[in-house]
Amino acid sequence: MDAIKPFDVVQMNPLKELSKPHSMGTTIIAIKYRDGVLVGADSRTTTGSYIANRVSDKLTQVHERIYCCRSGSAADTQAVADYVKYYLSMQSVELGELPRVKTAANLFRTLCYQNKNHLMAGILCAGWDPIEGGQVYSIPLGGTLVKQPFGTSGSGSSYIFGYCDVHYKDDMTLEEAEQFVKTALTLAMQRDGSSGGVVRTVNITKDGCERKMVPWTELPVFFEG
Amino acid sequence: MSSNGTGYDLSVTTYSPDGRLFQIEYAQKAVENSGTVIGVACKDGVVLGVEKLIESKLMERNSNQRIFNVDYHVGIALAGWKPDTRQLVNKARKESQDYQSFYGTKIPAHVLTERVAMHVHQATMYWHLRPYGVCALISAYDEQGPQLFMVEPSGTSWGYHGCAVGKAKQAARTEIEKLKFTEMTTREAVKEVARIIHLVHDPVKDKDFELELSWVCDESKRVHQLVPKEVKEEAEQYAKEANKDDDDDDDEEDEDEELVDSGAQ
Amino acid sequence: MSNLNEENYEEERGGFVFDNVTRNMFMETKGYQAPIAMKTGTTIAGVIFKGGVVLGADTRATNGPIVADKNCSKIHFIAPNVYCCGAGTAADTENSTALISSKLALHRYSTGRQTRVVTAMTLLKRMLFKYQGHVSAALVLGGVDLDGSHLYTIYPHGSTDKLPFVTMGSGSLAAMAIFEERFKDDMSEEEAKSLVHAGISAGIFNDLGSGSNVDLCVIRKDSVEYLRGYDQPNERNYRTSYVIPRGTTATLSSTEEVLSKQLIINELDDRMEVAP
Repeated sequence: MDAIKPFDVVQMNPLKELSKPHSMGTTIIAIKYRDGVLVGADSRTTTGSYIANRVSDKLTQVHERIYCCRSGSAADTQAVADYVKYYLSMQSVELGELPRVKTAANLFRTLCYQNKNHLMAGILCAGWDPIEGGQVYSIPLGGTLVKQPFGTSGSGSSYIFGYCDVHYKDDMTLEEAEQFVKTALTLAMQRDGSSGGVVRTVNITKDGCERKMVPWTELPVFFEG
Repeated sequence: MSSNGTGYDLSVTTYSPDGRLFQIEYAQKAVENSGTVIGVACKDGVVLGVEKLIESKLMERNSNQRIFNVDYHVGIALAGWKPDTRQLVNKARKESQDYQSFYGTKIPAHVLTERVAMHVHQATMYWHLRPYGVCALISAYDEQGPQLFMVEPSGTSWGYHGCAVGKAKQAARTEIEKLKFTEMTTREAVKEVARIIHLVHDPVKDKDFELELSWVCDESKRVHQLVPKEVKEEAEQYAKEANKDDDDDDDEEDEDEELVDSGAQ
Repeated sequence: MSNLNEENYEEERGGFVFDNVTRNMFMETKGYQAPIAMKTGTTIAGVIFKGGVVLGADTRATNGPIVADKNCSKIHFIAPNVYCCGAGTAADTENSTALISSKLALHRYSTGRQTRVVTAMTLLKRMLFKYQGHVSAALVLGGVDLDGSHLYTIYPHGSTDKLPFVTMGSGSLAAMAIFEERFKDDMSEEEAKSLVHAGISAGIFNDLGSGSNVDLCVIRKDSVEYLRGYDQPNERNYRTSYVIPRGTTATLSSTEEVLSKQLIINELDDRMEVAP
């Protein structure tokens, strides 16, 4: 193994870096506020040190009023989200009503737990349903399920725990929630090399879902040393 | 094979020339041999009542259960061939647990009913299976309110306000139709259910019986359970009194009562 | 091992068998050089323009340090309105695109409808995800369907992105540099072709794994133009032509033999009857 033969010296594998699994060194966040939930994410997808997509969409709709924020392996989280999307649509047809966020979160948990040895997926599941209103669930790596008033995940989240703990309040207005999410994501994107690009948000209420995108030129500016 | 239809009753997978499945009809007969089972949906819950015929005087009380918990919010009362009833209860419990662990929420009553009905129906589709000789009344109370369903040996299932199966189903259905259970509380309904079971029981022809009563209602915190002892005793007391009165003035007829659709087939 | 049992072996023939992984690893520690699959160190790219999609690819296939094919074709047919550029292991890209192409053909026969680009994308990503990255196919999938123009990248592990301009393969960095600089929304077909050409050329000239010619494929609403060898910037200018005049080699002796003596000819009389 260690002996380098002349053949190996010239051998090159230009694809090595680019053929690493596609991962989302990410910052994602979801919070419950007065009228529903607000989910947010950065837009950077990397393969090794290369940014494979600078405008990716990590907020994936799994049903009319339920979204998931994906972090970890892009392939794994897309596959899991596709399964949940399928099961939810089947259930809502069977019941003839909107599925519950709890149900969606439980499906994520089941898939992530049962396949924990093959998956790299940190998921936030958030949405609104007629029975329990707005809810946020976090499904971290091992496949546990935690209900939270707000949740963060991804490599960038460790930079903003402090900010979130200080500034989170119960029963925020939409404006306050938007400010909270935008600031938290910006702070994470500035400090985490694997997070960046634009800020994407989805506001989910009983009336529906509204997407927003904040280009990096319009993000708030903080200490830049 | 002399007359039309003879010889077509040996297999569930073969229709008779006039389009009937005799094996299913025989399964329904098995249900009719059973003690009467009735169920009523009220304002604040659902009541199930069973006329449990005592097979042997030596048998322990309560050892031949006919009402079971399926889940916290679901109960089931069964009429028919006993070993089949146990099988069906197990199936219902399993479906309920599976749903809960997959979706993380309790199973809606109509979904459970549908799944149990599917299973019962399966048994009418293969030559190597025998149809269930069971009728199941499923009571539930969840976000969608109090609900009552019945699954028949053919695999059909409908929702009801009130229904009855077993030996005296006709008489019991007529009694149910006379009252407006949907406007009653479960407290009131328990008494009426006890009365009907006592009324339709024929002490001359039938064996002795024990009454089994269950409810799932606001009073039981939407949990399915057997009706508490005091409430049951009170109900039986009422039943005996009422039926005694009834015997006294037997010729009293009340045909003018508005009939509530019991959904009898 | 139980699956060496003949019946089981037959059953499990599809897909990959990982039985020999441990053995191979052991053999490599003892100095055995495992054969390497042919990888197309590649530049592939795609751009959406006003009326459709332009896909582009270089034509070099490498086998380690050797250029195995100087003019291979990396833009694969998926459906009449969908094409796909492949980077990675040549065998994997060719076979996975061919497999999905055939599935989509059957799907078209049964539905009688045009293939959608998302359908192709979904089938490809499901297959690649199933094989957990062991099928090394990195793809750029483009096409036009009833919902308009679509362009996707599909990675070997089964993740996908949907973007207006994409690049892939070892030359993707060179090509992306060009695209980031010059891409505009709603370009004309000519602009788009020239942009993809520039991107692929950047790969050909700056990436060791890419080279030779530029292939393009333009997919419009109702037509497709496959431009094989759209640009050939690496033609061989000088070629020695050997003209060896007859008689250069002296004849020392010659013999003649009549072959018919050794031939036995059987005349068949009863010929097959032919319908009048």
